Amino acid sequence: MVELKFFGYLADIAGARAREVSLDKPVRLREILPAFFPEANIIILVNQSAGDLESLIRDGDRVSILPVLSGG
Amino acid sequence: MKGYAGKLLRVNLSNRKISKEEISDSVKRDFLGGRGLAVKLLWDEVRQADPLSEKNKLILATGPLTGQPIPNSGKMVIAAKSPLTGGYGDGNIGTMAAVHLKRAGYDAVVVEGKSASPCYLLIEDEKVAVVEAPDLWGKNTFEAHDLLEAKHGKNSGILLAGPAGENLVRISTVMSQKGRAGGRPGMGAVMGSKKLKAVVVKGSGKVQNFDDARVQELGKKGYAEIKAKESYDFWMKQGTMQAFDWANENACLPTFNYREGVFEFSKDMDGYVLEKLHVGRKGCPLCNMQCGHIVKDSSGADAELDYENVAMLGPNIGLGSLPQVAFLNRMADEWGLDTISLGSCIGFLMEASEKGLITDRVKWGDFEAAQRLVLEIGKGEGRGKLFSHGVKSASEAIGKGSKKWAMQVKGMEISAYNCHACPGMSLAFGTSPIGAHHKEAWIIAWEIANDRFSYDKAKVEKLIEFQRIRGGFFESATVCRFPWVEVNFGLDRYPEFLEAITGEKRSWEDLYRIGDRIYNLIRAFWVREVPSFGRPWDYPPDRWFEESQSTGKMKGVRVEREKYEQMLSWYYELRGWDQKGIPRKKTLEDSGLKDVARELQDTLG
Repeated sequence: MVELKFFGYLADIAGARAREVSLDKPVRLREILPAFFPEANIIILVNQSAGDLESLIRDGDRVSILPVLSGG
Repeated sequence: MKGYAGKLLRVNLSNRKISKEEISDSVKRDFLGGRGLAVKLLWDEVRQADPLSEKNKLILATGPLTGQPIPNSGKMVIAAKSPLTGGYGDGNIGTMAAVHLKRAGYDAVVVEGKSASPCYLLIEDEKVAVVEAPDLWGKNTFEAHDLLEAKHGKNSGILLAGPAGENLVRISTVMSQKGRAGGRPGMGAVMGSKKLKAVVVKGSGKVQNFDDARVQELGKKGYAEIKAKESYDFWMKQGTMQAFDWANENACLPTFNYREGVFEFSKDMDGYVLEKLHVGRKGCPLCNMQCGHIVKDSSGADAELDYENVAMLGPNIGLGSLPQVAFLNRMADEWGLDTISLGSCIGFLMEASEKGLITDRVKWGDFEAAQRLVLEIGKGEGRGKLFSHGVKSASEAIGKGSKKWAMQVKGMEISAYNCHACPGMSLAFGTSPIGAHHKEAWIIAWEIANDRFSYDKAKVEKLIEFQRIRGGFFESATVCRFPWVEVNFGLDRYPEFLEAITGEKRSWEDLYRIGDRIYNLIRAFWVREVPSFGRPWDYPPDRWFEESQSTGKMKGVRVEREKYEQMLSWYYELRGWDQKGIPRKKTLEDSGLKDVARELQDTLG
């Protein structure tokens, strides 16, 4: 099972703050994200390391996708 | 030059002399306005002054973009030699006073001297007066605002010092519109020291722009562009509070005086909880993405919240109730206390209590005790006396190794990002020119997106790029950075705004040069005014080097001191400063600061 977590407005776009996806084989991250998901100004962390939409996601991975923001 | 109001207003409170001066085009070209103008004035006019004496000057400064019909331009800079740090101090504030000041015909106000009795400054276009204000002295910022608004009308811009500023508490800010704050490095105390309770501005004129029709067109397009951004709707729901679970997820939420980076009650007080409690919105003039969310505090009163004050008065003191945090926040706003520094002081005191370094027993998350502390700090009495000068001074008084976890740089408390596992952001706090503040270079998102554990030169280059844009351009232009940083409004719009407003074409390269000039001059000011100033002033507290978080994803990670040293050395090299952090003569001369280079050489001998 892959754990996907979405933060900020990206959760609205994904339709959920967290989702689990079952994978038989590794796939690129973009393949398990909704169509038209933003490609710029986002932070992708795969198991706490910086990743991107082309990162290969395997069963058991934890993925967090966050907006780039400023915090006040 | 077009786009500026045209005049500098100078008011001496000692002899009540009021004068108006031209600001030269070369100063406008070289320093833009806002922070740039403020540091130029302070460099030229404030030498070796006690920050709370009549020799210090309070600068209110706008920029060419201030008050224009373009996105988020209702901002001004408040600056002085800081009583908190001893060096250059400033802050920006969103306020109707900024818009009115330019309409009244002034780009900046310089307040000098010291009044013998409480007063306020009333600016109504050409008419300027110092008004006696015995009835306002001692009033909190909400009460004083209401009194002044009743007297001068709702269509007034009002800046206020709270009772904390009157009591010369060094962590006091300037307040406006019952909740807007600015001037973290003790600008409220500078007003208090001058017995200046308030500045009221009413302007009815109009600034002449180079191409007014183009400004209108660009502004209209800009507002529409912001509204169409895909993150806009979410921003309107949570504002800066979206950073709360962002910071918790990334283990950088300041928790228990920055000992930890995740908080067990975070889900009880994050942006989604704010959405449920939201009863209204507040913000700055000329803004269509207002960031202030009003909730009912634990007493049922309205209180305005944003990320920084929730993080610092919540997790950082172990308090997990948003209405209770809102109550403390409202108290701070009424007293004119900086919520970041206040949260840091209370967190520090709670840790000192836990460690048995002080006789008081104040437990983490003790809401009643926190209320009492806010009052004592605001009054500068009792335990508040120890903390009214900030955590650096408190740790020096307490001793026993507490300096290691007094969370400050250059004497100013760190804003709400815990950086055990963010070396780039540690350096951003370390090199922030007013003391630790996030407004200068919020590199944390960039570094987490790329490689949060790296210490490479590219990270330092990026940090300087952010300083040029944020601390250089936005603070001097003077407009809010949120459209760019929060909803990705294009940076390329700003040179277009500047050209339509001033008639002068400037590229981002040109604006970077202005930013560098401003950073060099601020640095020179520190060197001249603080005899011991230099490299040791550019380090975050030992907590980030020597300790690590005990729980969460970044457990065990800390900033590596030797690698931080390397990054700091690169920072100096890239800035053209020597390894003691002193701007080189050539760097100052190349920045157009020949006279500054000469005076600095004389200072250093």
